[in-house]
Amino acid sequence: MRSIVALKILLYDKATTAGSLIGVIAIVFLVGQQLAVLFGLFTYMSVLVDHSGADIWICSKNTLNINATDTLPERYADRISGLPFIAWAEPVLFGNATFITRDGKAESLQVVGLQPSSRALWPWRFHEGSVEDMLEDEGLTLERLDLGVYGDPKIGDVFEVNDVRMRISAITQSIKGFSGRMAFTNVVKARKILKTTPGRCKAVVVKLKPGVPLEEAIAGIQAVLPDTEVMSSAQLSARTRIYYVKNTGMGGSFGFSTMIGALVGIIIITLTMYTGVLQRQKDFAVLRALGARKSDIFVIVLCQSLIIALVGIFIGFLLLGSFLNGTVDTNLPVYMPRRIAPMLALGTLLLCMLGSLLAVRKAISVEPASVFR
Amino acid sequence: MPEPILQLAGIARDFYDGRNLRRVLEKTDLDIYPGEFTILAGPSGSGKTTLLTIMGLILKPSEGSIAIRGRAITKMSESALASLRLHNYGFVFQLAELLPALSVMENIIVASGIQGRRVPAALRRRAEELLDGFGLADCINLRPLQLSGGQKQRVAIARALVNEPAVLLCDEPTSALDSESSAIVLDVLKKLSRDTNRAMIMVTHDPRVFPFADRLIKIENGAIVSDTRTIGQPLPGETH
Ligand SMILES: Nc1ncnc2c1ncn2[C@@H]1O[C@H](COP(=O)(O)OP(=O)(O)OP(=O)(O)O)[C@@H](O)[C@H]1O
Ligand SMILES: [Mg+2]
Repeated sequence: MRSIVALKILLYDKATTAGSLIGVIAIVFLVGQQLAVLFGLFTYMSVLVDHSGADIWICSKNTLNINATDTLPERYADRISGLPFIAWAEPVLFGNATFITRDGKAESLQVVGLQPSSRALWPWRFHEGSVEDMLEDEGLTLERLDLGVYGDPKIGDVFEVNDVRMRISAITQSIKGFSGRMAFTNVVKARKILKTTPGRCKAVVVKLKPGVPLEEAIAGIQAVLPDTEVMSSAQLSARTRIYYVKNTGMGGSFGFSTMIGALVGIIIITLTMYTGVLQRQKDFAVLRALGARKSDIFVIVLCQSLIIALVGIFIGFLLLGSFLNGTVDTNLPVYMPRRIAPMLALGTLLLCMLGSLLAVRKAISVEPASVFR
Repeated sequence: MPEPILQLAGIARDFYDGRNLRRVLEKTDLDIYPGEFTILAGPSGSGKTTLLTIMGLILKPSEGSIAIRGRAITKMSESALASLRLHNYGFVFQLAELLPALSVMENIIVASGIQGRRVPAALRRRAEELLDGFGLADCINLRPLQLSGGQKQRVAIARALVNEPAVLLCDEPTSALDSESSAIVLDVLKKLSRDTNRAMIMVTHDPRVFPFADRLIKIENGAIVSDTRTIGQPLPGETH
């Protein structure tokens, strides 16, 4: 009966209920959308590592960020290839370059060099063209979502990248970088563009044999190559993200806007639920007079805030879902990791409970004697 | 010789009005017997509601002790008192005070489910019977807003009776109604007054009820100034 009373009162006081719902929806949507953009940017930052297909990365000592690492001797790959737990190890080449658009504008590129025998760092999704087109002599891929900034070039158009003549031979889909726009080419041209000394590479990536413990493999490689930084792909990915969060101020900025979203929501919930209880003060007093204990009134208001939280979270996620769906393959960096959604729902539920505290306090303090006045 | 259902001994109540502690109800001893219909009368501000709400376990007395069926309740917790109200009392207020969000039926049965227990089907049937008896059979599923003042007050009486309380307390149940509605409500209350088990205490100024009372208590300035039983109605336990 208490939950029925809770629900009926919510249905009766439609305006305040709608207000509280808006508070919950605001939290889910505002915070969720901020988080999605943050995680979207995260995927851009470490895109090369996350899609490398490698288990372990060997970079120059003290590498904090995949996009800012010094070169290594290529023969490091041969040195560790013989280790019993390694399936393959290979040097990879990538780095920043400048793309000059038709109207003379400079755009920063992250160029990745590949050869037919390469086993890592391949582009994983094409909009137009193929790997073969990409590997052509002067061939270069651009990202479809970035075409606008290059002045909408077409396949076959010729451009200069770091003074090297290149021809657009394929277009990738949704392969977005953070420190530069992703572009793939063959290793010969990449070396020319990046002016990498012969015999040196940007990193060595390693694939382990199945079932080998990651930690042991890392220690084993580190022992052979003591003047390098040996990390799992996950470690390098996380390190890169943390680096950007710390050094760009985006951590604070996202933290702030997330907090504002939560704060706006909780204030709306607090005010509307409190108003709801004020409107129903007399009802609660009557129930108390008729035999409801304080704890029963508590249960009623708690039920109300649970109902509001659950319905609001449901609507909020519907909205958030359509926002996320609508931004797939667009220029908005949006990505919601699976484990974040339940955390967001739980966090919203807690905030909603917190927002109902004032209302609960008011409701249980209603005096039954007040019905007689 | 019936035992009193309710015993007040040395009950007094003080209120703070701004700065001073004011005694609103002087020390009062009062026994209420089953089956007795008592009218509480007195000028405005004399303390009728204060006395009634103390008898209803809603207002705590500043001093004195209360016993229900001989059992002292003065030291009981608020929740224990709420449960006692639920199982022993029916209340009718000046205004019906129905919950606008609930239907007529829900308003009547809400109290029995309010502590989390299931509402028994028998209770719903009893609610239907009561409504039927009050000529409100068609109103079961209506909302209070769809009822007239007199209808609402009859629903409130049904709500007060559905738990078959030992004590029914009414605070000016007709004073807010127009004369026609109040006549109908009074009719219902008069019938109730004949019940031989239920103690009924009513604050009222309505002279039409007086002839039906077994007992008339007059209160002035917070003190009982007269407590009389109608001729032929001896004090229970009194020997002639
Ligand atoms: N909660 C309270 N705080 C302070 N004073 C109160 C409170 N309740 C009642 N009083 C005072 O106690 C006195 C008696 O009030 P009570 O309501 O019992 O009178 P009453 O006889 O029911 O009057 P009425 O016929 O107008 O309803 C009044 O002077 C009132 O101002
Ligand atoms: Mg009064």
